[in-house]
Amino acid sequence: MEIIQIVGLGFIVTLLILIIRSQRPEIAVQLSLTLATIIFLLVLAKLDVVLNLFRELAEKASVSQTYLNTILKIIGIAYITEFGAQVCRDAGEGAVAAKIEFAGKILVMVMAVPIIALVLDTIVKLIP
Amino acid sequence: MNLDLLFKIAGVGILISVFHTALKQAGKEDMAHLCTLAGFAIVLLWVVQLLGQLFTTVQGVFKLF
Repeated sequence: MEIIQIVGLGFIVTLLILIIRSQRPEIAVQLSLTLATIIFLLVLAKLDVVLNLFRELAEKASVSQTYLNTILKIIGIAYITEFGAQVCRDAGEGAVAAKIEFAGKILVMVMAVPIIALVLDTIVKLIP
Repeated sequence: MNLDLLFKIAGVGILISVFHTALKQAGKEDMAHLCTLAGFAIVLLWVVQLLGQLFTTVQGVFKLF
């Protein structure tokens, strides 16, 4: 079913990339970028279902939406950063990939700061 | 899903390399480079559209905006 389709597609496109990489390396990079995008779009629909389930569970457990939204944002940022960094590394640009990852880490840290502050406040309140 | 895009890009890549070598043999070096550039631009157009679709979908799923 799904995974066989994806793996088959991956093999075919990898072989195509091998053919093209010797002549036109820039087209090969675009081909691998396209394959990565298509595979992720295929999987994204299923991920959406799982995330909606998490939201419903959070509402039932009366957990406030801010926590879940922040976590989802951090996951999203982490994924896009990893996607970009990996494509740049494949194209041979290690330095660019490192800069993208560095920016991603900073953005995730910025997202996490409010939650850390909240946790520290609750801890301080617990201490009599 | 638009799997045909993958094979279109591969086709354009192979065609470009063939045209490049053919034009170079025929002595038209500048035309060869122009043809390569044109093919590269076409493929870039498709890839950028697909990336735009990916980023809007990710924003929708992860509520990133």
